[in-house]
Amino acid sequence: MASIRVENVEKTFGRFKALNGVSLEVRDQEFVVLLGPSGCGKTTLLRIIAGLEQADKGRVWIGDRDVTLLPPRARRIAMVFQNYAVFPHLTVYENIAFGLRMQKVSPEKLKANVERAAALMHIENLLGRYPAQLSGGQRQRVAVARALAVEPEVLLMDEPLSNLDALLRLEMRAELKRLLAESRTTTLYVTHDQVEAMSLADRIAVMNAGAIVQYDTPMRVYQEPASVFVGGFIGSPPMNFLRLRVEGQRVRLGSLDLEPPAEVGAEVLLGVRPEDLEVYPAEQPQSFAAQVLVVEPLGPHLLLTLNFAGQAFKATVPPDFPAAAGQTLWLRPQPSRLRWLEPGSGRAFATG
Amino acid sequence: MRTERYLPYALIAPSVLFLLFFFAWPLLEALLLSVRGGGGGWTLENFQRMAADLYFKDALKYTLLLALVVVPLQVVLALGMAMLLGGLSRGRDLFLYVWTIPLGISDLAAGIVWLAIFTERGYLNSLLQALGLIEQPQLWLSYETPWMIFLAVVAAEVWRATAIVFVILVAGLQLIPKEYSEAAEVFGATPWQRFWRVTLPLLKPSLQVALILRTILALEVFAVVVALGGRNLPVLAGEAYYWYNAYQNPGVAAAYAVVVLGISVLATLVYLRLMRPRQEEAA
Repeated sequence: MASIRVENVEKTFGRFKALNGVSLEVRDQEFVVLLGPSGCGKTTLLRIIAGLEQADKGRVWIGDRDVTLLPPRARRIAMVFQNYAVFPHLTVYENIAFGLRMQKVSPEKLKANVERAAALMHIENLLGRYPAQLSGGQRQRVAVARALAVEPEVLLMDEPLSNLDALLRLEMRAELKRLLAESRTTTLYVTHDQVEAMSLADRIAVMNAGAIVQYDTPMRVYQEPASVFVGGFIGSPPMNFLRLRVEGQRVRLGSLDLEPPAEVGAEVLLGVRPEDLEVYPAEQPQSFAAQVLVVEPLGPHLLLTLNFAGQAFKATVPPDFPAAAGQTLWLRPQPSRLRWLEPGSGRAFATG
Repeated sequence: MRTERYLPYALIAPSVLFLLFFFAWPLLEALLLSVRGGGGGWTLENFQRMAADLYFKDALKYTLLLALVVVPLQVVLALGMAMLLGGLSRGRDLFLYVWTIPLGISDLAAGIVWLAIFTERGYLNSLLQALGLIEQPQLWLSYETPWMIFLAVVAAEVWRATAIVFVILVAGLQLIPKEYSEAAEVFGATPWQRFWRVTLPLLKPSLQVALILRTILALEVFAVVVALGGRNLPVLAGEAYYWYNAYQNPGVAAAYAVVVLGISVLATLVYLRLMRPRQEEAA
């Protein structure tokens, strides 16, 4: 068990700046997810922590060891690769035992660790098989078992579920969560799937364009996004952003009178999640009117696309809500769930 | 739909006919030639005559020895070169092209190049004389020193034909996803362990191809030997040539060819058997 500390890491590939001075701290036994769109640098950061890439600048610490210049084999880590990288010429048993053989552990410990890891992943019955005889999901289990068997100080996972089909992914997600909560291994997990990040993480580090833009618990990242990017990237459908005029330190939205933060300029962005809008068919106090553009029945709820003063936004309502395109509805946002952002930079104003 | 079904066959037909006409038929003819007597009946006369010949034993010995020395040497060298190439980030193509230059040289020309080095007034003697290591030009490639001829042939063959093994192994290495090596690295393998436990086993299919190809070609060694040693270093293919040309005896020549074929087939079967991928491994 160990913490991870990354200090001011920079990495450039040719002319492309992949990492722009990233710092990150993962506490001992914590499960942290690096979340971001493709090309944001999350995998590069993970590979630098693994030692598979060298940072141009900055340092990496695992526990109290500065591992910046150490090769991967000296870092006491384990990794699960996106395409599993399960050795095709070795049996499942030998795959799981690979790291232990490299460490030259005693035969008793080797056997015990392999069997324990296999049992954790429910693949005891596959130990004699070769990877070619396994399904994708089973190979995935072998890859995780191989990582757990070495009892690493730090476990690194690079999009481990992205090659599984949707149903299997859901199953493995819950299983990974249970497993890693039990083993209490410090884990850094890379994904572009925001649902996966929300479901697994103790904390999420949201990355964009080679930098960490927000690092917080899943619920805070969801409810209090630090920027328009975070609010738009996390949540499906994403957060709505309405551009509103500020007049005399007040913002008027229909009959709704809101007080923006003191430091706003002439305009402000109001961020509100679709599910945080209460929708009424008739006029209400403290609400604003909008026209329904599209109604999409999604099963658990209806997704409405509405128009307010030329700006489209989304709201969700119960499936039996009477809504039709062209209709006017009245919306009242939950006051505690509003997010004020600066229109120029896209950054959120600090909430009081 | 009918034409679409037959189109593939129509397209491969020319090459199949070509191979049947220029390879299968002569092969069959050679086989028949070796077991037919003057009167037209079946006979082992040609083989008996071949085995009784003075040169046969030496030809068999040197051919097998050459293959035994040259092929492993080439595979080890080519493997080393291919691994070194994989470690380059810049100038990779330049090295690849330079290392494969010998592929473009005919084997007779290669033999003559090395003859120019080893001959009495050759580059080697000039160099040794200039360095003051020898007083008189030495006769390296004489019938009295067949081992010198043997070593010269080994040198020429290694120089000439390592590139084909190298090209096959480079292609094979490129097929191995780098994640395997990275996974081994993360799980504690040193570079040496990565090579032995991951890269080499995964390279097995390419190694097999390279070994079979090179062994067959090594058993057919002829032009380089002729250029460097004439008949002072007899080899099977050379003997076939002499019997056909000098002795005007196609029957015995065909018997030699059949022996080369037999050894090639045997070697191939051994490789296939020894390096057989386990059934379970086949992806």
